Amino acid sequence: MASLLQPDRVLYLVHGEKKIRSSLSTLYFCRYCSELRSLECVSHEVDSHYCPSCLENMPSAEAKLKKNRCANCFDCPCCMHTLSTRATNIPAPLPDDPSKTAMKKAYYLACGFCRWTSRDVGMADKSVASGGWQEPDNPHTQRINKLIEYYQQLAQREKLERDRKKLARRRPYMPLAFSQHTIHVVEKYGLGTRLQRQRPGAPITSLAGLSLKEGEDQKEINIEPAQALDEVEPLPEDYYTRPINLPEVTSLRQRLLQPDFQPAGASQLHPKHKHLLIKRSLRCRKCEHNLSKPEFNPTSIKFKIQLVAVSYIPEVRIMSIPNLRFQKECQVLLTLTNPVESITHVTLVGCEEGDPEDINSTAKVMVPTKELVLAGKDAAADYDELAEPQDFQDDPDVVAFRKSNKIGFFIKVVPQREEDGDVTVSFKIRHDFRNLAAPIRPSEEDDAPTEAIWLTHHVELSLGPLVA
Amino acid sequence: MSDKQNAQKSAKIAAGAVVCVESEIRGEVTIGARTVVHPKARIIAEAGPIVIGEGNLIEEQALIINSYPENIAPDSEGVEPKTMTIGINNVFEVGCMSQALKIGDNNVIESKADLGRNMILTSGCIIGACCQVNTCEVIPENTVIFGSGCQRRVQTERPQPQTLQLDFLMKILPNYHHMKKTVKTTSAVTPAKN
Repeated sequence: MASLLQPDRVLYLVHGEKKIRSSLSTLYFCRYCSELRSLECVSHEVDSHYCPSCLENMPSAEAKLKKNRCANCFDCPCCMHTLSTRATNIPAPLPDDPSKTAMKKAYYLACGFCRWTSRDVGMADKSVASGGWQEPDNPHTQRINKLIEYYQQLAQREKLERDRKKLARRRPYMPLAFSQHTIHVVEKYGLGTRLQRQRPGAPITSLAGLSLKEGEDQKEINIEPAQALDEVEPLPEDYYTRPINLPEVTSLRQRLLQPDFQPAGASQLHPKHKHLLIKRSLRCRKCEHNLSKPEFNPTSIKFKIQLVAVSYIPEVRIMSIPNLRFQKECQVLLTLTNPVESITHVTLVGCEEGDPEDINSTAKVMVPTKELVLAGKDAAADYDELAEPQDFQDDPDVVAFRKSNKIGFFIKVVPQREEDGDVTVSFKIRHDFRNLAAPIRPSEEDDAPTEAIWLTHHVELSLGPLVA
Repeated sequence: MSDKQNAQKSAKIAAGAVVCVESEIRGEVTIGARTVVHPKARIIAEAGPIVIGEGNLIEEQALIINSYPENIAPDSEGVEPKTMTIGINNVFEVGCMSQALKIGDNNVIESKADLGRNMILTSGCIIGACCQVNTCEVIPENTVIFGSGCQRRVQTERPQPQTLQLDFLMKILPNYHHMKKTVKTTSAVTPAKN
């Protein structure tokens, strides 16, 4: 029954800024705070940029310069698939002897999915396999660059004004801190010899470095304001009568992927460079430790740091559900898996009346009251035939089976609501956690190397609809 | 049709065609020269004869079937057998199914594509992989149908005939498979002297 193993069946509650319920496979566990974290309560940082088709790494500065596009790979403008370079043999006259023709290789771009080729747009075949393809220039590039420079200068000026106001207010209160700040600023810009003498009442020296930088940049950038035109180009006369050539009309998606030109005709769709993808790392917001850090190499899918919840928290899974009947007690078989290598003790506690976390349950649940003991995960257990099976005294009413680090146990469910919808139950699971990341204190007595702390998680199970 | 043509039950394979014994050919099927039919390809002429031109490439598990339309029972009378014609230099890729009655030249029907009976392909068309097309229309020349939504676009040049692949297969296939016997005929229309 693969549907019982779907990720949204068993949800764990994450205490963060928002209470998020999601399956254990999507959660992370910060072992310094000893708490579950979801994707919404961690900060995401960009680790590296890479191209998805040629898997080439790119440093962030270079990526920013190239507008996050790969230099070698192109996207088909028609179906957005990756373009491949194909070669044909073309007879071309030899440069030495115009009468003889030799076979030269000519390269063109082609899409394997929609059969678009670069010849469809009129791009000539290139004699170099890669690097010969250019994107067409935007006619407005110069104006846009000028506007960007002007606004950057304006932003810098405004920032200076703001800083000046801030420091001006603080001046009578912190003169000492000030002089240190001055030195620091001077070193930053390397303008030690050009310090202005501080005159009483004059603008603050600490800003000398800053204002001098602007002074170097003295040429002011002026832009011409955009001019509104009165006359607009008239529509062609046959605009309403000309029959539409449907294959020639570009779709909105094709048009908007090229915001520079937005061509209306398919014969003007030029290929664009492929967009880069990023690898991201996750960081716990409270303790600033990394929860997930991928490897730098784009071809590797492993992680340098991978603190995922499934490798620390015991996982509850539904194994079998009988027919659920309104107000009749049914027994549901669940499994609990221990991800760590040490023995774990798990206690299940039902939710009390008026529990603020218990908002979704539609049935009463009776969980086993005894403590369940889970054996540690032993990687070599499959191969070691001589291993003695550990002897746990299992109550057959509670524990259905036991297999290495997994046990199956029963819970009793009494559905309380007769309406349509899934029967949902929730309970709390309390287990011991040994923090191996904590530094080992030099123990004077014979202490256990790591002390266990008890963690409690709120779990919700979705058991499916009622049977009439 | 003369009685002799009605009595013809075996396939007429022109000289130069390479048809593997493991392929299933049922009914009145005529196959032109330089055509390669892979093993496990199926050409079934139930409701009428099939005429396949030259230089075609029919790959494994392709199904070319001239079947009765769904609302007509096989035994009802007054049903004229319609001939399915397939032109030259077409490619039927692995696993495709074609019921179209008229297919022109230089078309490519990609893997697992599905053509309905009322389609007419002109020349240079490419039906993309897994595209099911069963409208009642004539596909214009050089059309490409692709994608899960069967989007269309027109390409500027027709797909190249697979001459290199055909030559290679005609050399290599007889090394590994037995071939069906070819029949010497001057043209496909004249009845075969058996």
